Amino acid sequence: MSATTDFVSAQKVNRRNTLVLLVVLTALAALVGYGIGWLLESEASDAVPVLSKAGVAAAGLMAAISVGWSALSLAFGDKMVLAMANAKQIDKADAPQLYNVVEEMAIAAGMPMPKVMVLETDALNAFATGNKPGNGTIAVTRGLLNTLSRDELQGVVAHEMSHLANLDTRYMVVVGVTVGLIALVCDMLLRSLAWGRGNRSSSSDKKGGGAAILIILLIVVAILAPIAAKFVQMAVSRQREYLADATSVRFTRNPNGLISALGKLAEKAEPFPGVSRATQHLFIVNPVQTFTSKSSALLATHPDIADRIARLRNLGA
Amino acid sequence: MSFWIVVGVLVVIALWAITVYNGLISGRNQAQTAWSQIDVQLKRRHDLIPNLVQVVKDAMGYEQETLTKVVQARNNAVAASGPVQAGAAEAALSQATRGLFALVESYPQLKANDNVKQLQEELTTTENKIAFARQFYNDSVNTYNNRRQSFPAVLAAASLGFGTIELFNMPETEREVPKVALR
Repeated sequence: MSATTDFVSAQKVNRRNTLVLLVVLTALAALVGYGIGWLLESEASDAVPVLSKAGVAAAGLMAAISVGWSALSLAFGDKMVLAMANAKQIDKADAPQLYNVVEEMAIAAGMPMPKVMVLETDALNAFATGNKPGNGTIAVTRGLLNTLSRDELQGVVAHEMSHLANLDTRYMVVVGVTVGLIALVCDMLLRSLAWGRGNRSSSSDKKGGGAAILIILLIVVAILAPIAAKFVQMAVSRQREYLADATSVRFTRNPNGLISALGKLAEKAEPFPGVSRATQHLFIVNPVQTFTSKSSALLATHPDIADRIARLRNLGA
Repeated sequence: MSFWIVVGVLVVIALWAITVYNGLISGRNQAQTAWSQIDVQLKRRHDLIPNLVQVVKDAMGYEQETLTKVVQARNNAVAASGPVQAGAAEAALSQATRGLFALVESYPQLKANDNVKQLQEELTTTENKIAFARQFYNDSVNTYNNRRQSFPAVLAAASLGFGTIELFNMPETEREVPKVALR
């Protein structure tokens, strides 16, 4: 693929990654479900069955939960986000310039026109949400509208349009569900292991050292997996931000708009009321924490703004 | 045994041909859709300009020449057809309207006029939309033309009716954003 179409290839990669994640997620959930079922059944009967009925049942249940959870998040995630952030949909008469700028960026991206929303707050921020190209929403705060020039607003809207064009919004929903489910199943695993151990100490301990090592290994995995998953999620989120900045310049062909907008956003960093950590990765700058050097830490959803500006300058401002 | 190998190879070749053919179709459709978007925006600009001229005409008593130029450029642009001709005419029109905007700056009562402000925003966004639609169109055309000229499509493209598509260039406005001081 040539550089001119790289958001189209980014879209393809994200589409494939989403599918892979969903498959891995379901398989993982089923596997852990089977493990728990097997553990419970073997503890109860003291004979270790090769194919445990409880294991198969639990595997099916976990797979159903993971599929259902993903489907629900994809179907209703964006509505929940918009409701939580208290966003109001507008049409052209309410904010002609904003509406025009979104139309311009939809044309530049070759995308259908998304819904446009305004958040009534003085904080400077914007976000995008939507599970498929024809069903996107771009929301900006009133503070942003009042503060930014046309070029700066265009840069911010282009960044959000990039998230929609690259299908980041959908991808991050699935990543979020994956991480949540990994945390949940590891928690369940730890609980069932604790329950199993408690049970066993009262009965006879006839299993060998091999089983003990296996159980210790399971405990270590169950503790570390959610942490690792969280690191991966945040790393993915930061990469998506860099990519959206770059794609935004592909749309506007004007890095200066986004550069000076990011500068203003960093300057007037203030926490955004009513936004939880669950939705922070959707915004153009992190709405929960203020932007200190700490935001480049491993658990940040967004890269450091100074770093983003430096990369944009490299694009030939 | 060897029969099935031959069948397998033929199936693979057929699938490959289908993929290449579908790639050409979707590329051409994307370029056509992109062109219709340009068309929509050009028409919109042609419709907006008479309104702007109407609003500023009375205040700009001494600037009839600039106004005539804009109207003339607009009429040429309306008459133009095909990407190459339209490109030149639209570029001239962009330049003429930019001259008009520059003049409006020196008339405080016009600058403060809500109608003028609104028309300026509309013309600015339409200019931008033309530029972005052109950008998307040219990207799409490049992708399509590359695909068409690559092996194996190049062997059959012409005989299947896939011609090259022209780029849409607006020579004098290249990489220049109209400077309209608006917030």
